[in-house]
Amino acid sequence: MFLSLKNVRKEFDGKVAVDDLCLEIPRGIIYGIIGPNGAGKTTTIRMIMDITAPDSGSIMFEGQPRRPDFKNHVGYLPEERGLYKKMTLHEIIIYLSELKGMSPAKTRPQIDPWLERVGLADYGQKKVEELSKGMQQKLQFVTTIIHDPDLIVLDELFSGLDPLNMELIKDIILDLKRAGKTVLFSTHVMEQAEKLCDNICMISNGKKVLDGRLADVRAQFGKNSVQLEIDGDGHFIRSLPGVGDVSEFSNYLELQLLDNADSNALLIAIAQKVTVRRFDIVEPSLYDIFIDMAKIDPSELDKPGGERHV
Amino acid sequence: MSKMLVVLKREYLQVVKSKSFLIGIILAPLFMVAVVILPMWLAGAKSSTGEKVSIIDQSGAGIGRKFIEAISEYKLEGSDKPYYILKDLIEIEPGDDVSFNFFKDSLRTQIVDQQLKYFLVIRPEAHLLDSNIYLVTNSDNFVSLNRFERKISNVLSTMRLNASDVNISIDSVLNITRRIDLVVQDAKGEAIPFQIKYFSAIIFAGIIMGMILSYGQLVMRSVIEEKNSRIMEVLVSSVSPFQLMLGKVLGLGAATFTQIAVWVAMGSLLYSQKTTLDISPSIDRILFNPVIVVFFGLFLISGYILFSTLFALIGSMVNTEKEAQGYVMPISLVLIAPFIVGISIVQDPNSTLAIVLSMIPIMAPTMMMMRLVFIVPTLSEYSLTSGIIGEAILSLTIVVVTIVFTVWLTAKIFRVGILMYGKRPTLPEIIRWVKH
Repeated sequence: MFLSLKNVRKEFDGKVAVDDLCLEIPRGIIYGIIGPNGAGKTTTIRMIMDITAPDSGSIMFEGQPRRPDFKNHVGYLPEERGLYKKMTLHEIIIYLSELKGMSPAKTRPQIDPWLERVGLADYGQKKVEELSKGMQQKLQFVTTIIHDPDLIVLDELFSGLDPLNMELIKDIILDLKRAGKTVLFSTHVMEQAEKLCDNICMISNGKKVLDGRLADVRAQFGKNSVQLEIDGDGHFIRSLPGVGDVSEFSNYLELQLLDNADSNALLIAIAQKVTVRRFDIVEPSLYDIFIDMAKIDPSELDKPGGERHV
Repeated sequence: MSKMLVVLKREYLQVVKSKSFLIGIILAPLFMVAVVILPMWLAGAKSSTGEKVSIIDQSGAGIGRKFIEAISEYKLEGSDKPYYILKDLIEIEPGDDVSFNFFKDSLRTQIVDQQLKYFLVIRPEAHLLDSNIYLVTNSDNFVSLNRFERKISNVLSTMRLNASDVNISIDSVLNITRRIDLVVQDAKGEAIPFQIKYFSAIIFAGIIMGMILSYGQLVMRSVIEEKNSRIMEVLVSSVSPFQLMLGKVLGLGAATFTQIAVWVAMGSLLYSQKTTLDISPSIDRILFNPVIVVFFGLFLISGYILFSTLFALIGSMVNTEKEAQGYVMPISLVLIAPFIVGISIVQDPNSTLAIVLSMIPIMAPTMMMMRLVFIVPTLSEYSLTSGIIGEAILSLTIVVVTIVFTVWLTAKIFRVGILMYGKRPTLPEIIRWVKH
């Protein structure tokens, strides 16, 4: 296994931030850690990056405890990020890559191609403070990957990125995956994870809720979900036979069907009492799966469609 | 290790390339020359032109003439020309107060207009009543005042002896009763004037304090800047917090030493010209004393590391410079303390208070330096285990041990503090980080 966490636990001031977490991250995939704010994503990532030490448990990189030069093989984009405002783009790229053990001579020829790729070719000798916020984000991303790391860790990558830049960076991430790199990222926006990840891990309140290949997770939950739009009061629906959990919005409901449910009989039963405008049998979204598994208050998560990303 | 050097290099260049660094290098010595060296040099300097003297003599006994004769023995430095130039000798009848007032006013005007440096007034019966002789001048050249006092005393003594019936040669009486000027020497038979020691002590302790305060605070500012710009977490994903802290402390320390090295080079240049500049041997013995210079270097390094580590600690705990001021204030006070209690130190540098204060780690660098200057040591005269050098070594050891402790403590707090945004940690929290 490329990267694995075994029974990792971390407490802050008596409050458990990460509890007995086990993760297996294979090489060459895009792995998403998802969960609401405060679930323990950043703490997990900081422990992976060896910025904070776990209270107990172990973290292995390529099957061994992390060596001192581990940090040189990782590119890390923290959620709280920034750059030296007074340095030029060239200076800061060279400095940060030097801190990753790269000689300036090796870094220098790669700077301009990367700046060109993210549309900053004309700014190489400008100071960071002269860039717009979006440009600084792209520069920051370049400094994260300039030293050609095997593992790229991105904490809340897309927060604060505009849609155009998001597209650009998503393309680079997919290229990195093609080049055999492993990308680990965290997000509280499920839709992003759904579109990018090969594997996911859901965490809530510091505990793993479920993990695995995205396809497997979906299959495990089957096509047993119904999206329903009606006119009228749908409250009676939750007591119909074959209906499991219900997420109810004003005119819109999502029903989890029990394994033995007869969807036709269900449709007839509903249609007798209210007008059915739409009845779709669909794969559950990660959002639904998460709500289902974590048994959390949906208000802690960004609702599907609430944010339009990638 | 090599990553620490990368941080060190950046911090160093960041400072050395700045304009304020260059200005500091040039301005500080100029300032020091202006404030300290120049007055000392001027006081010891010999005037190249003489001073003009006039005399109003109303005694009718020729006191003025005799005085002029007496002061004519003073010559200009390296020349036969007299130091004092007689402008006017005005002899007036004892009863002629109209003329006296006229000349007195006219000479006063000349003094004000700086055409004249001194005029001596000799009123009638001057040989009987001392207050009938006085000197009018705007100068406070104590060398000249001293000479005048001595010569006029001689003239009057001679006159009084002549008038008395003492049967003894006047010269031998003057010789017997001549005034002695005490030459002050220290225990080693050398004389270093108090002012020179005091100024030197202020210079050495002042440089140590100034460097620690300015560069130590740079360390703090640099940490706060990295927290504020949120680059901190990016940095600690590449280097350990300890490497980062050490790189900063040593990088800015290297900048301090660059600055001092330039000053030392300037000083050496000055020193090579010491014969032409006429530097007094006293200054020579303190400022260019190898023992003092070596301890100065050691106390500067150790003091800087001690305080800059504390400043790094403060930087890691706060979010803004304003917040930091509350912590910086007590540290500054501790550094300035030696200058406040300084006067009691210099009066008796071997007092118990002085010795105790110079052993307290946060005061030792400045305090011990002041004592060292006041007890000017030479290598041959003191053992390494006793006397002032022994004490300096003990004090240095205490500082180094304290550094080991503060570096350990700071490293513990730093690695947690730098990732805390927005909220200032409470004391119980800090204690928990240290225990962890």
